[in-house]
Amino acid sequence: MIEGSISNRIRILRFHSGEMSQAELGQRIGVTRQTIAAIEAGKYSPSLEAAFRIAHTFNVSLDEVFQWEIKLPG
Amino acid sequence: MFIIHYILTVFEWSLRMPYREKTAWLSLFAMIITFGPYFAIVALRTLPAEPMPHLHQLGLFAITAIVQMLILAAGHLFLRTGSGPEASMPLDERDQAIMRRSVNSAYYVLIAGMILVGCVMPFNSSGWTIINAALFMIILAELVHYGVVVISYRRQA
Repeated sequence: MIEGSISNRIRILRFHSGEMSQAELGQRIGVTRQTIAAIEAGKYSPSLEAAFRIAHTFNVSLDEVFQWEIKLPG
Repeated sequence: MFIIHYILTVFEWSLRMPYREKTAWLSLFAMIITFGPYFAIVALRTLPAEPMPHLHQLGLFAITAIVQMLILAAGHLFLRTGSGPEASMPLDERDQAIMRRSVNSAYYVLIAGMILVGCVMPFNSSGWTIINAALFMIILAELVHYGVVVISYRRQA
């Protein structure tokens, strides 16, 4: 199996959206502030639907929000 | 001085806690301070020996259950008034994932307990021994359930 890790640019995108708060973003996509904090910290991977909602909120494509970095073996 | 600092730190920490985590802590607290002493009394066999239905034992259980319900009711009321709109929000996808994980973990404890109590204990025990063992396994499963909820929220998982 290919190993990888998911990173995201939500903190930067929030900054570029007039320093949007985690609570406001959470409210827009229907999750709690703590869930946004967990996603930003890379502790929780959101569902595909929530990921699309986040991208839509910032008016960017999905891969501008989330990136998947492949871990090379060895 | 240290105690005041500790209390303030815990208070500040609890303000930032998600509502679901607070309710899980409340349930853990209520179970430990009610069923902890209950099982201690039962294990130390301090109750007088009586034939079934063993009113002392029944009374002890009733008091324990009522105290637990009162703590939970008062605690939920307090948390709900202090948490604002967050308390009435439906579970989001992460809350649901945490709930699934915790119920899944508690299920294994409960099923192992019920096999022990329902299939093994009837051969060598009876009456309140079996009832208390079943209660203990239910409480243990609940502790695992709320424990996993608290750990998951603490780890932001």
